[in-house]
Amino acid sequence: MDLICMGLNHETAPVQVREHFAVSAETQGEKARDIVALSTIGESVVISTCNRTEVYAAAEHADVGLEYLREYMAEGHDPEEMEYLYTKSGQDVARHLFRLVAGLDSMVLGETEIFGQVKQAYKQALESGATKGVLNKLFQKSFSVGKKLRTHTRIQMGQTSVGNVAVDLAEKIFGKLKGSEVMVIGAGETSRLVAKSMMSRGASHLTVTNRTLERAQELAAELNGEAVSFDQWEDALSRVDVIVSSTGATEPVLKASQIEAVRRKRKYRPLFLVDIAVPRDVEPEVGEIDEVYLYDIDKLQVLADEARESREQQVRLCEQMIEEEL
Amino acid sequence: MERWILFLAVILAAVAAVQGARYLSRGKRSSWTVLWMLGVFVCQFAVLGIRGEMRGSCPLGDTGEMLIFSSWAITICYLAIGPVFRLSLLGLFTAPLVGFLLLLALIPGMLELAPPHADRIDTWRESHAAFSVLAYGALGLAAVAAVMFLVLDRQLKGGQFTKGLFRNLPPVRDLGLVVRRLLWLGLFLLTLGVISGVVMKSSGDTAAKHLLAAAGQWLAYLFLLIISWWRGVPPKRFAVVTVVLFFGSLLIFALL
Repeated sequence: MDLICMGLNHETAPVQVREHFAVSAETQGEKARDIVALSTIGESVVISTCNRTEVYAAAEHADVGLEYLREYMAEGHDPEEMEYLYTKSGQDVARHLFRLVAGLDSMVLGETEIFGQVKQAYKQALESGATKGVLNKLFQKSFSVGKKLRTHTRIQMGQTSVGNVAVDLAEKIFGKLKGSEVMVIGAGETSRLVAKSMMSRGASHLTVTNRTLERAQELAAELNGEAVSFDQWEDALSRVDVIVSSTGATEPVLKASQIEAVRRKRKYRPLFLVDIAVPRDVEPEVGEIDEVYLYDIDKLQVLADEARESREQQVRLCEQMIEEEL
Repeated sequence: MERWILFLAVILAAVAAVQGARYLSRGKRSSWTVLWMLGVFVCQFAVLGIRGEMRGSCPLGDTGEMLIFSSWAITICYLAIGPVFRLSLLGLFTAPLVGFLLLLALIPGMLELAPPHADRIDTWRESHAAFSVLAYGALGLAAVAAVMFLVLDRQLKGGQFTKGLFRNLPPVRDLGLVVRRLLWLGLFLLTLGVISGVVMKSSGDTAAKHLLAAAGQWLAYLFLLIISWWRGVPPKRFAVVTVVLFFGSLLIFALL
């Protein structure tokens, strides 16, 4: 049996093409069984995520198998769309799968979600009877290679987005975010992303304020929080644990004197401030207060860039390890 | 015999510290630290057992025994609290302090070679000594956790996020909580120690001075905890005071 692979991903195809080839998470096993019904193809696994759709198969002859697979994939698609597909055979299939599982082929280098997605796709194919000896062995091996790479390299270390860097820092201050209160000043896109990450990690309450109350209400509704008018947000200062600020103001919105005024009321609890605005919303002197941890966009961006660089430096090591495993 | 066991305990504490630091430099935590510290604990227990047999009373008759007993109390507090609260690196920070105290006990003259055997035991005196030393174990560990807090606070403020130490230290809020809990535990044990000291039969000026110093420390810790509970104290200041009070206590007893 020869290994073959056909598919497209975020590097080879735009989203409008990728979405045409997408297979829903529940029907990947069914699709894999349909492909096994094609002549010369004995086994198959279909992986479909937001960034890729790929078919892995074991065929009696690679060339013939790829031909049948191309015909199958062409159904319902324009010929131009078919040009976005790539094909692989033999050892290149294993190499490609190992890279995929390790996150080397992901949009966010080293991300871990893909590992679970491949596992899920393989499980569906296995349960639908679309896999046998060859693909079972290949996928089991890919999972062990993926684990080995994550354990022995730093490919997944650090966070590569500003939002996740902020959440990691918040967890270094508060531990679990469960029970923490978050306030967003200015309902911009980056603060929305940071607030969303905080809420997804267990923050219990979100207060949103904005010069335009409607915009604050929209964001509060989206994230299940509470909107307050811009002249009332200072009342929440004594309560909150995290403040994410991103207004378009030209003067500081949050001053050291405002924090000093509520320190005793807060009983000197830690306060985590994320200032994403340019010009900055928070007076730099605020960061000098004992229990306040203040980070501006540059500090967060540096951390995200460092993590990305560190991951990029690990790619060669990962590829070496993959070659050893082939 | 007990000197060799003590020497072994120093070696084990040093291994815990060095191996933990080497793991940390590679960005990892050593799961061996707790085992090395368990070994230290067994050695300390054996030495204290031997010294107790020799004295026929609680082994707190000379400076060496006090140092061993204090380090034993810190170790037992670490073993009881570290794994329960999953305070990573607490062992790594505790091991050097324990090793240092044991090393001091090894200095010739610290341990009496032939300690006198007690004719009779004053239960209150024994309780006073034991509770006080156990209290210093808890207060010593609180100081260790406070140092960890200060290190992490400095790294968070200074933006030193990539070091292995930063990645492996527990969150700031958890460290603050553990310092407070250990201080309350230490204060409770110190209260028992001071009460036993008041009840015991006085035997001269030194005992009275010791008791007075212990009472002074008890008041200082009580004041810190009450103020912190009532109106709050900036966390960095709280941690600094915790460290200063502990080392101040050690210094006072060394001078008395």
